[in-house]
Amino acid sequence: MSTLAANPLPQDHTLLRNTVSEPRQQTSTQAGDAAPVPNSALQRRASALFRDAENDLHRHTDELFARLMIVQWLAGIAAAVWISPFTWIGDASQVHIHVWAAVLLGGAISGFPVWLAWRYPGLAVTRHVIAAAQMLTAALLIHLTGGRIETHFHIFGSLAFLAFYRDWRVLATATVVVASDHLLRGLFWPQSVFGVLTASSWRWVEHAGWVLFEDAILIVAIHRMLREMSEIALRRATLEGSNCEIERQVVERTAELNSTQAELLETSRLAGMAEVATSVLHNVGNVLNSVGVSAELATSKVREFRVGSLKNVAELLQEHVEDLPAFLTTDPRGKMLPDYLLKLAVHLAEPQEAILQEMEMLQKNIDHIKEIVAMQQRYARGTGVIEVLSVADLVEDSIRINAASFTRHEVNVARDIAPVPPVKTDRHKVMQILVNLLSNAKHALDHSDGDRRMMVRVTQNQEGQLEIAVIDNGTGIAPENLDRIFSHGFTTKKLGHGFGLHSGALAARELGGTLTAHSDGPGRGATFTLTLPLEN
Amino acid sequence: MPVATQWRAEALKISTIAAIWLSIVLTGSLLMANYSQTPGMPGTPPAQWPDTSRVRLDAGLSKLVLFLHPRCPCSRATLGELERLMAHCQGLVSAQVWFIQPEGRDEEWVKTDLWPAAAAIPGVQVSVDHAGAEARRFQAVTSGQTLLYDAGGRLIFQGGITLSRGHAGDNPGRDAIESLLQQKHTLSASAPVFGCALGWKKPQDECTLCQP
Repeated sequence: MSTLAANPLPQDHTLLRNTVSEPRQQTSTQAGDAAPVPNSALQRRASALFRDAENDLHRHTDELFARLMIVQWLAGIAAAVWISPFTWIGDASQVHIHVWAAVLLGGAISGFPVWLAWRYPGLAVTRHVIAAAQMLTAALLIHLTGGRIETHFHIFGSLAFLAFYRDWRVLATATVVVASDHLLRGLFWPQSVFGVLTASSWRWVEHAGWVLFEDAILIVAIHRMLREMSEIALRRATLEGSNCEIERQVVERTAELNSTQAELLETSRLAGMAEVATSVLHNVGNVLNSVGVSAELATSKVREFRVGSLKNVAELLQEHVEDLPAFLTTDPRGKMLPDYLLKLAVHLAEPQEAILQEMEMLQKNIDHIKEIVAMQQRYARGTGVIEVLSVADLVEDSIRINAASFTRHEVNVARDIAPVPPVKTDRHKVMQILVNLLSNAKHALDHSDGDRRMMVRVTQNQEGQLEIAVIDNGTGIAPENLDRIFSHGFTTKKLGHGFGLHSGALAARELGGTLTAHSDGPGRGATFTLTLPLEN
Repeated sequence: MPVATQWRAEALKISTIAAIWLSIVLTGSLLMANYSQTPGMPGTPPAQWPDTSRVRLDAGLSKLVLFLHPRCPCSRATLGELERLMAHCQGLVSAQVWFIQPEGRDEEWVKTDLWPAAAAIPGVQVSVDHAGAEARRFQAVTSGQTLLYDAGGRLIFQGGITLSRGHAGDNPGRDAIESLLQQKHTLSASAPVFGCALGWKKPQDECTLCQP
């Protein structure tokens, strides 16, 4: 069974055991705070990697030799057919025995190792059989070519090729086969090896000497290559350890980042909602002012009612309940009573009308408040819901939320809304962005002395995307601020928190769009453009 | 089936096939070696230079006569050895190479690439032996048969100048001839000859080793 086992580490190869500690120290230096890999674990991993690499090498070399064997077999047949196609008796001929030998013996020599390489690649037995077969092939080729000295180079080339296995035992097997060939020839056909004259009797020793010479060089090379392989395995194992640690840290940091980003998004979302809520409350406050005025007016009108006069008339009629006809016809006060009542009715009708008007106004204002609250609730509830929306409605709603503020600050908002298809998007996020942009534009116009103009322009750009631009002729933006205007925490307002544009930009990105700013400089207004995909 | 048992079965299978493979390869190699090392039928050349030969002895020079089958694969190795021999013994010997032309074959059949190769060797005369007349005269029956006559016409060597069939390299025949020409040895010598039958003799008398 030993020949079937994978080639173990060379017995004299102690590199993995001896040098494990050194690369580990290097790793600690390179990886910084990477956790140190246990020494034994690193060594085990390095050994496993070494064995894997060695096994790959053996399998690959087996495959190469399998192909080479087939080529050599065909080459042997070609050589036999070329050099000695026929044997002759006078003018009669028949196929030369060399041709049959090339086909049959060559096929037998090559067949088994090719089968092993195909069926059992990487096994020790496979490469040892290949080594033996390669030497036998060399002997056959030498024979077929009539002992040409050039064909002997095949042996030396094969030894070099066998060194690809990086296993000195394979070279030993090949050398034993060559030696056995000479031994058998020496036993059965001594003249074929030793000749008969003293000049060539030790020629085989010379041949064997050259083979051993090459073996020695190749074994030294194999030892160095194995050392390099083990060093590479060790480095790779060390690197893997470092990578694992780095990967773990990356996962950890990524989780932290994700968590921070989620928190930031939530903060931004709340800030955006606060922006909307502020606008809503602002509007509600304005309407409540009107409600208060209406209530005061109604109260003062009610106070104007002459309830006392009516009471006096009632008491007078009560006194003369027994002689009421006489009182109304003869008594001077009784005669004046119908005119008085008529004037009183007229007097009461006037405040009643005013009260009714104020009540109607009150009702309207209350309805307005309900409408504003309902709109805010609709946007708050709609987060994350993708709907097909009219762009014009979105713009109008956004303006309406800020309408009271615009009116108070005498800001004229123009619309330039091109016919664009409905957009499929998150209503809340778009509203959050637009309300913020409109609010910012209004703030930019607060300090403007001249004509305060604002425009909302809706177009479809050349890429087929929807563009909603909020344009103002307010304070503008300094060039150095344009780059960081979307940064978290950046604001130019005294009471600003720097969330609005940042969260707006994030929301735009979440919607698959962008939020950009343009300004020709301070005092020259600004344009904020929200771009959204229309195909979604 | 447990893995260990499975591996034992695999190992047994591989070992069995390996043993069979080794047997086949060894048997084939032995047969090949046996074929290569088995010499052809030795000739019975005349001890004295036959006067009837178309070739004359050169005065003061030994004469080497070599009979070759023009299509025998072994002839190439023999010519290689002749070339070395002639190079080692310049001025001591002249050589005559006869290419057998069997009856019914024309000269084109005879003049393969071996012909110019032989003719290019210094000191070598190449001729066609029509119907094996000279081979009969010198009783040479195997291609590669080499005869060496001294200046007096006495046969001092007969045999082959290759180590085995078609195998180039140092060999006892060539060494013996060189020794005789350089007068290191004076006794007649012989060596086995490896090659195809020249074909002028009856089949039952010919070397059968070319067709084992």
